[in-house]
Amino acid sequence: MTSASAPLPRAPKVGGRILDAQLHLMDRQVLDHDGVPVTTVDDLEVSGPALDVEIAPGSPAPVITALLTGSVLGTRIFGGRPPSSRLIRIPWKDVAEVGVVVRLGVKGEPLDASWVERWVRDKIIARIPGGSHDPR
Amino acid sequence: MDPGLSRGLEARVLVNAARARAAGWRARSCRKRLYGGMALAGLVLLTACSGGTSHSVSTAVKDSSSAVATARIALRQDMDGKLTRAATSTTLDDELKEIQTSRSTVLKLSPATPEDRDTQKQALDVLDQCAAGFATARAALATNDGGNPSLPDGDKALAGAQDALKQLEDKVGSK
Amino acid sequence: MKRLLGVALGILTAIGGFVDIGDLVTNAVVGSRFGLSLVWVVAVGVVGICLFANMSGRVAAVSGRATFEVIRERLGARAGLANLAASFLINLMTVTAEIGGIALSLQLASSVDYLLWIPVAAVAVWLVIWRVRFSIMENVTGLLGLTLVIFAVAVFLLKPDWGALAGQLAPTVPQQETFWSYSYYAIALFGAAMTPYEVFFFSSGAVEEKWSVKDLAQSRINVLVGFPLGGLLSVSIAVCAAIVLLPAGVSVTSLSQVVLPVAEGAGKLGLAFVLVGMVAATFGAALETTLSSGYTLAQFFGWSWGKFRRPAQAARFHLSMIVCLLVGMAVLATGVDPVLVTEYSVVFSAIALPLTYLPILIVANDPQYMGEHVNGRVVNVLGMVFLVIILVASIAAIPLMIVTGAGS
Repeated sequence: MTSASAPLPRAPKVGGRILDAQLHLMDRQVLDHDGVPVTTVDDLEVSGPALDVEIAPGSPAPVITALLTGSVLGTRIFGGRPPSSRLIRIPWKDVAEVGVVVRLGVKGEPLDASWVERWVRDKIIARIPGGSHDPR
Repeated sequence: MDPGLSRGLEARVLVNAARARAAGWRARSCRKRLYGGMALAGLVLLTACSGGTSHSVSTAVKDSSSAVATARIALRQDMDGKLTRAATSTTLDDELKEIQTSRSTVLKLSPATPEDRDTQKQALDVLDQCAAGFATARAALATNDGGNPSLPDGDKALAGAQDALKQLEDKVGSK
Repeated sequence: MKRLLGVALGILTAIGGFVDIGDLVTNAVVGSRFGLSLVWVVAVGVVGICLFANMSGRVAAVSGRATFEVIRERLGARAGLANLAASFLINLMTVTAEIGGIALSLQLASSVDYLLWIPVAAVAVWLVIWRVRFSIMENVTGLLGLTLVIFAVAVFLLKPDWGALAGQLAPTVPQQETFWSYSYYAIALFGAAMTPYEVFFFSSGAVEEKWSVKDLAQSRINVLVGFPLGGLLSVSIAVCAAIVLLPAGVSVTSLSQVVLPVAEGAGKLGLAFVLVGMVAATFGAALETTLSSGYTLAQFFGWSWGKFRRPAQAARFHLSMIVCLLVGMAVLATGVDPVLVTEYSVVFSAIALPLTYLPILIVANDPQYMGEHVNGRVVNVLGMVFLVIILVASIAAIPLMIVTGAGS
């Protein structure tokens, strides 16, 4: 962690909207392209050099590669870090719009992030009579 | 891709806010501990001050007289045709439970002095009288009009119990 | 004409839905022990719930985001989770109390032991959540709950000495009670009036019924007219107890005592009304709290939720509610007194109040969510005042609980 007292160099000018990762992405609701909730942004995955590696001047700025969900929420709150293979990713290219919610441009149903929902539905809820009854 | 990196980014971006928040949390949890300590001290003080047997007995007596008074209201309303049988019997059951709770509290006391033992004995006698009153009232309700005992009998038994409770309350209260 | 009917229906539902087991028990206990000296707390609580229910309804209608999504987004994952844990546990306690309330009311009507009614009540609650449409569920329980108006009618039928009653209104501690138990019950009453689940439910309900900005006027009327009248209803419970039970030296410890004043004033017919009202009110509240526990979990974790979806399309939401009902049933099956659970649940609600109300106040001021519908200055000032009151109540609750031995 950098010391708060040391002034950071001024950020380079960028075109377009500026998003604060913490303020506008983290912990926001994720909806699929039909407006069905998929998950919440539990963490972000960012490209770039590994930790503790000296960053060479002139190397490209890191970019967000994926929204993360699943067990990463637990490790974010209680510490630790799940192995990379256990992360559930929603690739950034699937993100269509960032507003009050993060909207995806794809259907949520087949995503990895929906597997618990699918499991609960297929194994429990759909088996109870009336489980697929439309309330309206 | 290293997930730690993303956390690192989050941490760096938010280092100031996070520190402020952490400080706030710390202050708050300290305050909570302080209040907890104060409350605990208060509790210790209270248990030290509460007069053991006579305090417990007077609480039990107060609860029981509330229960007997309720039962009498319910019986009177039943006789006036204002209350259904189901509601009356439920009320009697509820209040009998209250008497039983009081009785077992008093029974579990371990009085240290002869006076306290005396108080406990008297309280148990009175609470037994209450329970007997409830038994009469419930029997009256079960025999369903005109039988023996009748509802007025039940009310009379409860009224007797109420008087006894009143006397005991005055006696324990005056100590 | 149809619009007018809609407004009337909304108001009536708000009145009938205001009272739950917490209000029934706490008001009767307070009326029988403190007379009318704590009525002012209900008034304060009603102003507070109007203010914040309105605010959360507005946030939900304008942004389409329900309260707990907002709470997580504002507090972050860690503080959000702590908040979720506290709110959820208290909500679960309230679910338990409401199911117990249904069972106790049914026992009063039938004299069949309440333990036998508990599974019946829980299954009925689940069936309604599983099958019945949101608006029907809301309106039916709300309208049936309106029969609790009998408490207000009973006040007049009892022909009290109005002058003496008015004299009790001054906020003073009665002789036989201590200042500490007076304060403890003030907080309990405040918690009963402002229970957080009402806000979760209100905002999620706005999303369920797809409110938009143009529905705001309707919701404001519902809240501003319905809740105060509902508050009046809950005060009349206290008044009834103060007229009949206080002079007889009865302090309320069971639900059967709550109905005695109505029977005194209005006889068997009144008793029938009050029993229907109590079953409807506790049943409605059981639905609301069960849904609220599903809402809070689903909104925190970003699951698909809502009664407007088929259960299969909100699987985790429905599963979590089933689990909550099972837990509530298991707790009651231990034989713990539902009235006691209720008394604790309202006090713990008071403790958790700031957790719910602070994030709402913050988001209602956020132009990204609210656009031009951010809070006005008057609302903000009132909101801040209430936040202070809520904080004081929340901090004082546990010490008072210990000092008074939970009000005994």
